[in-house]
Amino acid sequence: MGILLFITVLLIAACGLIYELIAGTLASYLLGDSVLQFSTIIGCYLFAMGIGSALSRYIDRGLAYRFIWIELLLGVVGGFSSALLFIAFAYTQGFQLLMYATVIVIGILVGLEIPLLMRIVRSRYHFRDVVAHVLTFDYLGALGASLLFPILLVPYLGLVRSAIVFGMLNVAVALWSTFLFANQLARAQALRVICLVVLCGLGIGLAEAKHITTAAEDNIYADEIIFARDTRYQHIVLTRFKDDIRLFLNSHLQFSSRDEYRYHEALIHPGLSAIPVPRHVLVLGGGDGLAVREILKYPQVESITLVDLDPEMTRLFSTHPMLTALNQKSFSSTKVHIINADAFPWIDSSAASFDFIVIDFPDPTNYSLGKLYTTTFYKAVARHLSAQGLMVVQSTSPMFARDSYWCIAETIKNAGLKTYPYHVYVPSFGEWGFVIAGTHEYSPPATLPAGLRFVDAKGLPALFQFPPDMAPLPMAPNRLNDQVLVRLYDKDWKDISH
Amino acid sequence: MSISRREFLQSTSAALIGLSFKGERPIAGSFVNDSFQQGHLLRDRASFPAPKQTLKVPVVIVGGGIAGLSAAWRLNKKGFHDFVLLEMNDQAGGNSRWGENEITAYPWAAHYVPVPGPKAVFVRALFEELGVLKNGQWEERYLCFAPQERLFLYGRWQNGIEPAIGLNEKDREQFQRLEDQIHQLRATGHFTVPMEAGFSDSTAALDRISFADWLREQRMDSKVLNWYMNYCCRDDYGATTDQTSAWAGIQYFASREPEEKGPLTWPEGNGWIVRRLLERVGKFVRTGQMVHRISHTTNGFSAFAGDIEYRAEFVIFAAPTLLGPYLIDGMPRLHDFEYSPWLTANLTLDRLPASYEGDPTWDSVFMESPTLGYVDATHQSLKTHVDRTVWTFYWAFADGLPPQNRQMLLDRDWKYWKEAILHDLERVHHDIRQCVSRIDIMRLGHAMARPTVGAIFSGERRKLANSHGQLLFANSDLSGFSIFEEAQYRGVTAADAVLHHLSGTKNRPAK
Repeated sequence: MGILLFITVLLIAACGLIYELIAGTLASYLLGDSVLQFSTIIGCYLFAMGIGSALSRYIDRGLAYRFIWIELLLGVVGGFSSALLFIAFAYTQGFQLLMYATVIVIGILVGLEIPLLMRIVRSRYHFRDVVAHVLTFDYLGALGASLLFPILLVPYLGLVRSAIVFGMLNVAVALWSTFLFANQLARAQALRVICLVVLCGLGIGLAEAKHITTAAEDNIYADEIIFARDTRYQHIVLTRFKDDIRLFLNSHLQFSSRDEYRYHEALIHPGLSAIPVPRHVLVLGGGDGLAVREILKYPQVESITLVDLDPEMTRLFSTHPMLTALNQKSFSSTKVHIINADAFPWIDSSAASFDFIVIDFPDPTNYSLGKLYTTTFYKAVARHLSAQGLMVVQSTSPMFARDSYWCIAETIKNAGLKTYPYHVYVPSFGEWGFVIAGTHEYSPPATLPAGLRFVDAKGLPALFQFPPDMAPLPMAPNRLNDQVLVRLYDKDWKDISH
Repeated sequence: MSISRREFLQSTSAALIGLSFKGERPIAGSFVNDSFQQGHLLRDRASFPAPKQTLKVPVVIVGGGIAGLSAAWRLNKKGFHDFVLLEMNDQAGGNSRWGENEITAYPWAAHYVPVPGPKAVFVRALFEELGVLKNGQWEERYLCFAPQERLFLYGRWQNGIEPAIGLNEKDREQFQRLEDQIHQLRATGHFTVPMEAGFSDSTAALDRISFADWLREQRMDSKVLNWYMNYCCRDDYGATTDQTSAWAGIQYFASREPEEKGPLTWPEGNGWIVRRLLERVGKFVRTGQMVHRISHTTNGFSAFAGDIEYRAEFVIFAAPTLLGPYLIDGMPRLHDFEYSPWLTANLTLDRLPASYEGDPTWDSVFMESPTLGYVDATHQSLKTHVDRTVWTFYWAFADGLPPQNRQMLLDRDWKYWKEAILHDLERVHHDIRQCVSRIDIMRLGHAMARPTVGAIFSGERRKLANSHGQLLFANSDLSGFSIFEEAQYRGVTAADAVLHHLSGTKNRPAK
């Protein structure tokens, strides 16, 4: 019986550690900042184990019976912890609260296991031997678990199924214990039936894990998709590879955290720095808060109104720690007013006036988005420019979609505005183009805010030069009733892929 | 954010219910705007109350469709305010009536106006007043957004309604030859909008044969070309090519210069124009006032509506001319006025079908269908994202005899027509039943004038069209076909004739 008993210890130790590792890994993947996540989870877990050990002294009768129930509970709570946390992250606001609660419950249960087991077997061995053997196998189990976890479990089973497998192990220990401690149990038969039922439940969970897990979990190790969700308006996917976070909307890349500063500095500063006293800024699109981060570098700016269609986007970039680190919590600024609305009807019905208007929409890949690149739209926007006002328009690539780029420039001009096209190089996008437009003359500013990493005042005039392969082409303007741009864009990108 | 969580739970439970009940989604709806009951009262010469009140009004306009409202607009514009407009229905607008639900406004019939050419001076004047035409530029937000039209044929969609795929050499040659022919006929200047601007006896021969015969004479027997010609006649006249006068078939193509990418359209269709007109002349309009008799008086006419006698010098009769003999004392029966029965339906869609394919388009037509397809009421929305929408479904009963079709329209219940509509849509959108939550249906027994062979040059019609004196006819059916520009032209010119007479009366020395 001795060796079987100590294998039990080894198994329950492994289970305990696996739940802890799963919680830590999940939190790091979903929230980022792995040092913080692992430290707090290990701390909570160990502290909860202490509570469990302390509580063990209040259990004085039916030790084996209670031990078996603790194993069953651990099997259920630990086994489904991963699935539960994934679902909580995807669909609720209370992920962190639930995560620490789960860790504490598991910790308390694990903390109860060893003291109870020691007391169950103490009559058979010397106290000295009990302590030595139990703790030896406890630590051995921990070693096994910590090696298995990264090498086999995460890559081959994934987090959800690993947790369930170890939950089943806990239940197996319970079942086994009904035989091991049969002499101390009054209703061993009933307990065995319960164990089998719970085992079946976990077994079903294992078979259905594919359905429980989100696409994010399945890919968590392979592709590092850390977030994937269908909102009412779009499919949002966030990926991470080492320190590079990328955002995809409907599978179109929106930014890479490695070089987005180039894009957003180029989008904001050439225009905004040219305005003598910018007080009110409007951002259309830009739900990632990265353009707002650049605008907040101007202390004179009193208000930033951001209109983005998708509340899930602005919420994600207001709350997700990895993303708020990227936009420097720009949405928390008291200057920022977020409005979740369709931009065209909003601008059409608004009466406000702005000194700088940033238009940062997805590329005109279809006729719906194409409405946001029409003469009527730019005319509607221009009505909101103050006397010193300028607007800047994200205008796709003058290199890969040269016709489209110059079509956008022509459309803005056709809306009765003076246009100043420029371009920059963003490695993850390639050559990228913008157009500054307004009712008055524009010239590049002589000074820019301090601390920029990419654009500098000396280099600005060069951005407005287009080499021959990106030079202007005569294009018809894009109109609501004749969206030439959508057709051009489609053709431009097809030409590249063939 | 708790809302989004709740929404998630709702959608999940809805999905679970959807899985467990493969059964059909309930679709609500009814017949709406039925007005044949009133028409039948007139037809059957029911007895109406004797007048209890007599009102003296110099000018009475009978009928609040585009013709009547345009007459009112013109009188008002010229500073004449001493008139009333009597409309039988509770809502003015006639064939340009509209509806509205929580998603959008939508049309009940006429839903666009082609970009008016230079000869449509009254239409241009109206559109300048309404801000649709500014400094010679058409306001883009009222031009139909891209993509405009598509046709489902050979199991796929193409852009535009004129068939462009799967054509053989013969089809192409005939389409080209037709285009050249139309170009020549357009150059004669006799096919214009409004039709009176270029009307000439030199084209009378074309009114003596059917459009189908004319196409045969031109050796145009391509099936695809004939399908398209037939579609155009069904769409504009509610008739097939062999029931349509060749003159009218040619008018459809030769009267318009394809210049601006149009047409002009609004979510509620031409109801948008009615709304603007009512903002201006609504105070003269009395709805729910069915005129049941018009009789001569010593110095003009009396119109009886309900228990009121309107004593007028002038009556502008803008209601469908077919009602004239039933109302007007001494007016003989008409022989040359035929009308097509129509059905329109507005379908509320909680989502677009998965089988929709492609970008949301204004007008979708199926080649293999007796119906005219459907128009998306949210297409003119500035939004980039539209979850729910309303489709207006058009069905002109072109085949067969109008009286029989009219009877069928009345005899069959809402459920029958609902199924017929869904069945038609299902040939392309197999999942349409899962998307539609409501279907309202409007039946119009005499929806549009039918330009049958001989109708355009009919002596009876020409006489009424050129009526003068104190009873002036103004409905678009006097042109032989029902389109916005004709209705507006006839309304405006009738108003001008009244104003001309009145100014003459004033200048006459008192006896």
